[in-house]
Amino acid sequence: MEAVLKNLSSTVELLAVAANSGAVEQWDKHTMSRAFDWARYCEHVHSRFHNNPAIRRVMEQQLELTNRSLQDVIPGYTEVSFSDLPRLQHLLLIGLLNNPELPISLIKMLFDTRSPLDNMQSEYQDVTGLCSHIIRCKAACKVLSPLIDLSAAGAEVQGRMLMERLGALLSRGSDTRPAEHFLGCVLQGCQGAGRQFCLVITAALLTTKNSAAQTAPREFLLDWLQNKHSVLQSLCSALPATLLIDLAKDHNKFRDAYCDVLKKWASDMEYCVSEGEWVQTSTNPTVSFQKLTEKFMALFEACPSLRANTEKELKALKISDGDFDVKGLSVWGDLLSALNM
Amino acid sequence: LLAPDELLCCFYSMQFWLDKAVAWGQADSPDTQKDTCLHLNRLRDFLQQLLAHINNMVTETMKKLPLLGQFLGRLCWNPYVTAGDTFRRPLLQCLWGLYSEHPSNAVERKANQWIRKVLCQLATEEDDGVAQALMKHMGVPAKEYHVNVLKKVLSKYSYWCSCDSILATSDACVPLITCPEASPLIGALLQQPVTCVKEALSEHFLDALSSAYSSWNLSLEEQAVVSLWYHSLPSLEEAVLSLLESVTNTVSTPQMLHQQVAQSLLVGILFFFMRNLSIRIKSVCCVVLSFCPLGGTTKCFETWFLLVQCAHWVQAAVQLLVTSEPEDCGPLLWLLTFYHHPTTGGTTECFGVQVRAREAWEHLRSVFLVSARPPIDRLQSLVTPLSSQPQQPSPAPLLTLSLLVNLLFSASGR
Repeated sequence: MEAVLKNLSSTVELLAVAANSGAVEQWDKHTMSRAFDWARYCEHVHSRFHNNPAIRRVMEQQLELTNRSLQDVIPGYTEVSFSDLPRLQHLLLIGLLNNPELPISLIKMLFDTRSPLDNMQSEYQDVTGLCSHIIRCKAACKVLSPLIDLSAAGAEVQGRMLMERLGALLSRGSDTRPAEHFLGCVLQGCQGAGRQFCLVITAALLTTKNSAAQTAPREFLLDWLQNKHSVLQSLCSALPATLLIDLAKDHNKFRDAYCDVLKKWASDMEYCVSEGEWVQTSTNPTVSFQKLTEKFMALFEACPSLRANTEKELKALKISDGDFDVKGLSVWGDLLSALNM
Repeated sequence: LLAPDELLCCFYSMQFWLDKAVAWGQADSPDTQKDTCLHLNRLRDFLQQLLAHINNMVTETMKKLPLLGQFLGRLCWNPYVTAGDTFRRPLLQCLWGLYSEHPSNAVERKANQWIRKVLCQLATEEDDGVAQALMKHMGVPAKEYHVNVLKKVLSKYSYWCSCDSILATSDACVPLITCPEASPLIGALLQQPVTCVKEALSEHFLDALSSAYSSWNLSLEEQAVVSLWYHSLPSLEEAVLSLLESVTNTVSTPQMLHQQVAQSLLVGILFFFMRNLSIRIKSVCCVVLSFCPLGGTTKCFETWFLLVQCAHWVQAAVQLLVTSEPEDCGPLLWLLTFYHHPTTGGTTECFGVQVRAREAWEHLRSVFLVSARPPIDRLQSLVTPLSSQPQQPSPAPLLTLSLLVNLLFSASGR
């Protein structure tokens, strides 16, 4: 373990040198290749020990020490945390490419475009053409994007990765705070509960549909969504109805939460005399009374068990509004009659 | 060193290509996509031209082509150009060419800075901010993410029955022909069962494939390559040519060559398609030659039998012989002699036949060199000595006659 900690610390220092020091001017192919080997070693260390709380803590402490000493020496130094370790090779690459002292011969090596066959025989096959590989994949996706929905494909990949990470965080122990923190970061990273976030969450829920092993992260995600009302509302208004129905059918908690959202939308409505219709006032984007009714009906069709309880609730709400049977006085009354309840 | 007028040519082309690069960057419509794909090969050639200039005189080139940096920069951000290795390579090489190892002035230093910046951005910048944040939080390296997205995109392609989608997809895949990750999709397109009357794959796609294949830039599975041969005759021709060349040029023992060639599926296709292809006859002779010295009479007979089925080859060999230089005659004469008088190689008999064939040929040639229309008695005298020694096997009179006929015809045609 001592050796591992020492290696971890040295590699982080190496990364700092790669990104900030003129010493890279002396680097050759061998040096650079070794640097990437060490970064890969750290990635492996992370995957091996991230689920072991004791070892993880020790490593985090070591990293803290190393970061502090580097901060003293290098102005503007960016810390490397334990959760950065899985991406250490990429961080090394970014550091190197941004370092103006990196010899052009090494840059050429990274952008090499020889055929894959040639590269298999090369001594530095992991480093040679590393950047070419990335550029190629990104460009190929863009070229194929007219044929295929790229953002949907991206969301699917992101969704799967999200569930993998969530699963890993939840398997660490009973403390759910890291998982919650993670989801919070994801939400932030998506700049709020916009379309992309919704796509990712939906993909995350749908890809783990048939996987028994993924029950824990799925349930956790749904719980988390339930507690974040604004997110849930955005999810319900952004996603296509069929998708929402699918989720409601498969997840009872989601079904109930969705129903609550629909009721919330109804409660936000006001009767507009000039239009002779109930309209939403607060939420954005708006859903019409007609559409709301349709959503309720679709939900009841998919989840018949929900109908009876909801009917009871709506009736109670109508009574609290005065129990009138005249149109335009209570949204609950009008809803009930629209739903033939 | 390249002539100044060639640089001038580049200068005029540059405006054309810069306008193209600007147009491609501005719109992302199906028309611009199609236009880019159609121009890719010519663009590559132009970049290689530029590269030659750049390698020779950097500052000269930069002075005469001030828009060069702008042009290269725009291309770097065009995914249709950067997806394929064969187009990205000359582009990057141009950039390397503009880089000064020891910058001596501000212009060179600035150029260096700019090149580093472009490359860094290309490799590390993410235009999808959300994806970038997610990668960070999920601890997923960029390369892994992009590889996975590409895999997902490629797997989403569904094979509809309509020919139009396959046509559209094959067109869209033109920039991806030298992108190794896309080879499963390209292979799948090639191996689509041909259900339509018209060719479902775009001609442009097949041309681009064939061009990449001939310059060894294609990385397809064996099955996909065979499908390519079915779709594109030029690729098959190319495959045959390269096989023949490897047979004639490799230093390995005839045994190894023989095994290599014999075991190859290509041999069967080679002889079957020989009727349709315009392959160099001399190479064919060498292949046939490689079979005969070994294996004994059975192999020899098989080879001869195959040759007989492609008799027009022999005809072509005769015609070629008539117009060849003396030093090139060897393999052709051998083929003709073998055709008329098949013997196993290495034997005295074979050797004897070959020698006499050569003598006869040289004699014939000398007669015709003197006069394009040799007198009849002269010709008669040629035939007689050849058949005057019945004890010794001679190149069949048929051969001599055939040679004579061809010589006469070529002489009169001149």
